[in-house]
Amino acid sequence: MKISINSLTSFNKRYKSSNLNLKGDVNDLLEKIGAQLGAVEDVKYVGDKYKGILIVKVVSIEPHPDADKLKICKIDDNHTNNDVERGSDGLIQVVCGAPNVKEGMLAAWVPVGNVVPETASKEPFKLTSREIRGVISNGMLASARELDLGDSHDGLLAIDADQTIGQEFGEAYDLNDDVIIDLENKMFTHRPDCFGHMGINREIAGIYEIPFKSPDWYKSNSTISVQTDDSFSLRVTNEIPSLVPRFSAIVIKNIEIKPSPVWLQVELSKVGLRSVNNIVDLTNYYMLETGQPLHAYDYDKVKELSETDSPEIVIRNPKPDEQIKLLNGKTVKPRPQAIMIATDKQLLGIGGVMGGSESEVDPSTENIIIESASFDMYSIRRTSMENGLFTDAVTRFTKGPSPLQTVAVLGKITEAVLKAAGGEIASSVIDNSHIDESVLNRNSLHPPVKITAEFINQRLGFTMRNEEIKSLLENVEFSVEITEEGLIITAPFWRTDIELREDVVEEVGRLYGYDKLPKTLPKRDLTPTKRNPLLNIKSDIRNKLSLSGANEVLTYSFVHGDLFTKVGQDKEQAFEISNALSPDLQYYRLSLMPSLLDKVHPNIKAGYDQFALFELGKTHSLDQIDDEGLPIEGEFTALVVAAADKLKIESSAFYLARKYLISLSGEDVSFTPIDKNVTNNQLIRPYEPNRSAMISVKSSGEFLGVIGEFKASVIRNLKLPKFSAGFEVDTVALQKLIDKRTHYSQLPKFPKLFQDITLKVRASTKFSDVFDALNGELNNLKPDNTVIELSAIDIYEPDSDVSSKNITLRLEIASYERTLTDNEVNKLLDEASESVKESLQSERI
Amino acid sequence: MEYQNKQIREIAQLLKKRLSSLDNKREILRSVELRSLYDEIKTLPDEQKAVFGQEVNSLRSELTEIVNKEEDKSNILPSLDITAPFDTNSQNSRAELLPSELGSINPLTTELDKVLDIFYRMGFTAIESREIDDDFHMFGSLNFPEDHPARDDYDTFVTEQTDKENKPFIAPAHTSTMQNRVLKQYKSELDKGRPIAAVIPGRVFRNEDLDARHEHTFYQLEGIYVDKGINIGHLIATLKTFLQEYYNKELEVRTQPFYFPFTEPSFEFSLSCPFCDKKGCNICSQSGWIELLGCGLIHPNVLHHAGIDVNEYTGFAWGSGIERLVMMKYNIEDVRYFESARLDFLRQFK
Repeated sequence: MKISINSLTSFNKRYKSSNLNLKGDVNDLLEKIGAQLGAVEDVKYVGDKYKGILIVKVVSIEPHPDADKLKICKIDDNHTNNDVERGSDGLIQVVCGAPNVKEGMLAAWVPVGNVVPETASKEPFKLTSREIRGVISNGMLASARELDLGDSHDGLLAIDADQTIGQEFGEAYDLNDDVIIDLENKMFTHRPDCFGHMGINREIAGIYEIPFKSPDWYKSNSTISVQTDDSFSLRVTNEIPSLVPRFSAIVIKNIEIKPSPVWLQVELSKVGLRSVNNIVDLTNYYMLETGQPLHAYDYDKVKELSETDSPEIVIRNPKPDEQIKLLNGKTVKPRPQAIMIATDKQLLGIGGVMGGSESEVDPSTENIIIESASFDMYSIRRTSMENGLFTDAVTRFTKGPSPLQTVAVLGKITEAVLKAAGGEIASSVIDNSHIDESVLNRNSLHPPVKITAEFINQRLGFTMRNEEIKSLLENVEFSVEITEEGLIITAPFWRTDIELREDVVEEVGRLYGYDKLPKTLPKRDLTPTKRNPLLNIKSDIRNKLSLSGANEVLTYSFVHGDLFTKVGQDKEQAFEISNALSPDLQYYRLSLMPSLLDKVHPNIKAGYDQFALFELGKTHSLDQIDDEGLPIEGEFTALVVAAADKLKIESSAFYLARKYLISLSGEDVSFTPIDKNVTNNQLIRPYEPNRSAMISVKSSGEFLGVIGEFKASVIRNLKLPKFSAGFEVDTVALQKLIDKRTHYSQLPKFPKLFQDITLKVRASTKFSDVFDALNGELNNLKPDNTVIELSAIDIYEPDSDVSSKNITLRLEIASYERTLTDNEVNKLLDEASESVKESLQSERI
Repeated sequence: MEYQNKQIREIAQLLKKRLSSLDNKREILRSVELRSLYDEIKTLPDEQKAVFGQEVNSLRSELTEIVNKEEDKSNILPSLDITAPFDTNSQNSRAELLPSELGSINPLTTELDKVLDIFYRMGFTAIESREIDDDFHMFGSLNFPEDHPARDDYDTFVTEQTDKENKPFIAPAHTSTMQNRVLKQYKSELDKGRPIAAVIPGRVFRNEDLDARHEHTFYQLEGIYVDKGINIGHLIATLKTFLQEYYNKELEVRTQPFYFPFTEPSFEFSLSCPFCDKKGCNICSQSGWIELLGCGLIHPNVLHHAGIDVNEYTGFAWGSGIERLVMMKYNIEDVRYFESARLDFLRQFK
């Protein structure tokens, strides 16, 4: 929200609200605002760009001899500028192309040597005395846009006739040294009162610890008195009082619609609002002043749209299929619960959001209704969102301005309209109010807050006395009573946010200045902190895998529906995002592997021939819901190894993935064939069954995950190289395995012996069958008090005989009580291989 | 697939029959008949083109699908001995002591670990945030009434599927979604005379368009501290202490009032730029200050929702993005790199 320092200052002067000096140290002001009011998003310094620009009178106009659209104007600056060529009549010659230039009008003249204000902050364009098609032009007569006051470039900005010729333009319209501050709206989500000059002035006074006094007309609240003949009747029927707690309106007749005076156009354009006409501009001006949005209707159009002769305003929800043409030219179908302003037969506008075009105030309007109402902020927000309508009124109404101010602001704008557009009040104030009697009586939205200085100090970490608190709050017009028990604090009627004691703490702390509060660390005892075991293990896994050459990636939790198809997963199992940014991010992933596989090809294409990628992440599936009805979050660790086809690696990628797995899990894992019947397990879908395995914990049987190479279709769909394999394991199960990985066997004092054994088995025999059988026998047969370890050395399948293979294992053996002999060990191996011979159909070679 | 057009139907039959006799199945996609169908589209009157063309395309897709499946079948490699520690005939060469290529850890997780370590040392425990949650935890328990305008600041992704209350699940837009759970989980600490002190790292999501500074997926760290007599000075001192430890230097901090429904009062918290010591540099946009996070005293309604006696206890909370910290530290120019899985990015963080 933009605020002009000059407008703020003018407010204070006009209403004698405070003796705040905002024109002093601007940097200090900005710092104070930042620290105690809210973030300053942008600051625009107007500075002296209007210096020297004068209000002049166009005395005579002659056609340009050489150009149809140009005119030669003689202007009178009351001899204020000393630096310009004048004719014998003392007038200054300016060539002007504006269609609206006419003799006798007042205009703004930018003299030779001045920079055109519009260009001041871009590429400054400095005027010189120059010939335009053979005629000398001294400076220029300016349009609103050239004066950097809005977009209007249809013609000259016509200066109000009551201005003094020769006066500086910037001085006349209070533009010199103005500073436009753009405050972040978010801070004021709960502060509707800060969406106007009055509220901002009050807050700034408060943080400078200067008392602020709202103008009397604002505080008069619901008691404005008007003289009227009630010649124009207007009835208001409110069918939805819960959504429209207050609807105040008045009729004014015989007004004259015309362009706004320049000061008003300037006020609006400074904060980015467009000038429409004197009535619409005034509704905006008083909105900027008070934060209360206002709306004007053409009374006769409303009458025309009514069934009966005396118009009636009906506040209701829309009927099915009802549509409304809005001021922005669009026709919308409002949501069924929207607040509609209508006559007895037709919609007039969406209350609090945007008026309709059929009741719009236009140049022919003579009689108007002005509305000052209070709408349910939540309803306004929903309508605005659903119908995509965002207006200055919506910005304010979604913060819920106080319903206790509608009549006061209505009274003020009525006064201003009569002054600016003539006319007479034609109805009493219609005040359809559904505000609680108790709220009206105490003139404050919430009951007084009872609080103690101790409560405040405890939360601020400070020692403030009752009197200091009272003074800070009274500066911003709270009423504060000091009693035996503490403080009784009544918020002024415009404050919607003071309900709890904590709200008062915020107010006091902010007005005092948080950065002035003492800062100390909380005290705690020496109880050690519990580290999070899962987060710890995740760190360990990352460290281990990265040290083994793998790279940790993070990929999105959301995937494209096509990715499921490409890897054979069922997207019906996945949570679907209903407002996804793009189809790329439409589903929660079912497992991590597809995301990793999706990243393999781009990296190979980028020139990386060999790599391992891993990720630790969460997975979600529709069939995994806990007792509370919340999705269970799977914790998984996935890794993929890949090597570009051009490296022509012959071995199977499976075994490299396996090495990575074992480096994490240790040897207490077993690999079993993929159970093709486990169709529900989305985890295993991408894997080729005859080159993949389920992984479980050998000692406990607990399921760990899956490892393997990928289906031919997956390889094709994701452009994977032939050498690619991966695993995905449950991180929580892995954690248990890692936690008990380390166990110690006491070291034998006697020398260890090594002996290799090679068994020839059928090619189809599983390695683990051989290993486990032999290992089991060795453990049965080994001498007492010895320790053995068996490890794999080689698996050899001779080209000459593909029906068999040779498995070479190495036995390490040592005794705790004596030195073993080679003979003994040979014998042990003989016996063991003999006893497995039959079951394995093996032959020792 | 049943084709409406008789000609297409016949050619489909013909080609499928021929397919079985082809060695290179892919040849069928280059068959004269298929090509002639495509040629024919051009000759048709405009109103027939679309329907005919669609059917020809469907035929091509159907044939492609068949060819792919056939090729996939022949591409399946022989079974592996999944129980073996290494490949047959691979001559299990001894592993090198050092891997030839050093791996890397994503800089985001590395930094998050560093941050966690500091908070552990300061007495905070850690709980990871969820990636899918319900409306109650994301909004309701945090004092966001239905339709509250403050919800506008959180452009959340929601799911088609709904929770117990029939509201869509939400991809949390802040780690505060865990506040209620963590407060409840550690409430018993208060009875033992100890504070609730926890940080909550996690992935959060915002429905906003991507550019070099905006990601729809990013990481946050939430902090909560509840005890008797906790005040705003404690909050500011805690954050300042953390930041000084993290940057290993003395810093200045300042607050700006802000509004969050779940804290009262609320602040935006800035630190003096640790990279230029307030002199002004690119990282702090020449301002000397870096706006880092949002914080405040926990709103009594939030404590109340977790069953904590608001007359006895007060607390503070904050939430900070992690990407900013890392980007500033390494001068990373584009936030999207973190989740790009690009090795040229990742391998710089060995």
